[in-house]
Amino acid sequence: MEPVLPVEIITPEWAWGGSSGAGVKVAVIDSGIDADHPQIGGRISGYIGVAERDGVIVFDTDPHDDAYGHGTACAGIIRSLAPDCELYSVRVLGPMLMGRGSVFAAGLRWAIENGMDVCNMSLGTTKREFFAVLHELADLAYFRNVMLVTAANNAPVPSFPSVYASVISVASHDRKDEDLVYYNPEPPVEFGGLGIDVRVPWRNKGWLTVTGNSFAAPHVAGVVARILGKHPGLTVFQMKSVLSALAANTARTESAPPSGPSAD
Amino acid sequence: MSDETGGDVLKALANAEARVARQEEEIEALRAELADQRIAKDVREALTAAAAAGTLGSPVTHSQLLRMIIETAADVIDAESAVLLLLDEEGDELVFDVTFGVEDEEVRGVRLPIGHGIAGLVAASGQPIAVSDAAGDSRVAREIAESLPYVPQSILCVPLFYNDRLIGVLEVIDKEGGRSFTSRDIETLGAFARQAAVAIRQSRTHQNLAALMGEIMESLGDESLDRPTMRIEATDFAARIEEDSAYRQSRELMELVHEVSQYGEDELSACRSLVESFAEYLRTRTHPRGDIEPVR
Repeated sequence: MEPVLPVEIITPEWAWGGSSGAGVKVAVIDSGIDADHPQIGGRISGYIGVAERDGVIVFDTDPHDDAYGHGTACAGIIRSLAPDCELYSVRVLGPMLMGRGSVFAAGLRWAIENGMDVCNMSLGTTKREFFAVLHELADLAYFRNVMLVTAANNAPVPSFPSVYASVISVASHDRKDEDLVYYNPEPPVEFGGLGIDVRVPWRNKGWLTVTGNSFAAPHVAGVVARILGKHPGLTVFQMKSVLSALAANTARTESAPPSGPSAD
Repeated sequence: MSDETGGDVLKALANAEARVARQEEEIEALRAELADQRIAKDVREALTAAAAAGTLGSPVTHSQLLRMIIETAADVIDAESAVLLLLDEEGDELVFDVTFGVEDEEVRGVRLPIGHGIAGLVAASGQPIAVSDAAGDSRVAREIAESLPYVPQSILCVPLFYNDRLIGVLEVIDKEGGRSFTSRDIETLGAFARQAAVAIRQSRTHQNLAALMGEIMESLGDESLDRPTMRIEATDFAARIEEDSAYRQSRELMELVHEVSQYGEDELSACRSLVESFAEYLRTRTHPRGDIEPVR
């Protein structure tokens, strides 16, 4: 583990200079990833399709595509920030809502127990019965240094796991700078990532301009992957400190240009 | 005045100007925020009243309420049309329920499987999503606008939750003036959707209650009831009660309780125990006012 650094040392150059996210395993827990999309370029390191059949959770490691386009969008954003990270498609969004909470929890558990470093979750569940199981998984991830990057829910209904303290919860900002992160001192949402009018890859090799926290989370996940590429072994609380030190609105960087403080 | 002093004055002036500009920006942001809060408050009051009226048996029908909801949604967000899709009983299909600005016959009752269109995606992910160049990529556009009668320029779609359950999605289409939906729109529509979901659910409960009352009346048999007289009496009663100040007061109280109940079961139960404690305190007072019998 790296020693804790004085905040002044934490600049973009220190944090990710020269890193492309190589060696970092990133799970996109979503609707699948369309590997054929030019933005993804066929490079998917693993597929896990999670489904529930007759009350039993089943895992399928055969390659799958993207049922919606949503997962491909998230993967494309992460790829643009951390081009050499290893992407894993954990498909939990299928054609049914029934059993979705348990499929989602199973997908997350798979990611935590199979060596993923970062999990992007541009989804969540509002169902109270999943509060405890997801809380337990979020804590497990925290203790194993797995960064759970979650989209905060704009709707005023708590969405799990985005409201837990152990995750990196993200809402949207509109500064056209994809590695610009904001720190929000009023939790539960702690960070802001680019999420307004984002051009994203969609399924069938398409493109779409979209807005939503779903697309802010993968921007921060990409930044996290890039940082981990240079500083493997950071804990979740260290990562949050690094992100808040890099944030465009913290005291130290308030007068800096939109791209954050320049390299020292 | 020396050059140096002149420079200082200019610098001070520039600083002051920058400060004024910044303050103006902040004031504008605050003003926008206030306007948003006002809209949210108006919507909340309108829907709470509608929900309360529904449970009290006002003539606002379930479908009128749904229509009111989507018209208000389109109006608040400056959208040209809006559609409301409700989750079916099995929970795997969204059903087009009411529309505004779109020919009703074209889509009403159309079933959209979860996983299709932007509505199906929002239902599955639970996350609001806006698309601003929907017509840009025609193949993608057709897919995300699945079941809509035309391919819109922009779409904003938010989930409808009642308590912790998804009950449907609300979609507003084509922001007026060809603009994109903003993150402010997402927040406003999200807050609106929460109120709308409560109104829809409570109105549906009322609908079921009305049907149940009808069945009970049927089951009592014809000979015991003089239906036309009953109906006239009921109408008279409804008219009289509207005039009654005690009724109005209890209705106001009911609206308050409704509002509290929207925040969740814990809040409702806290509200109940507060009122109960107060009533309990009043019962224990030595000189009750008037001759009120405690209600147990």
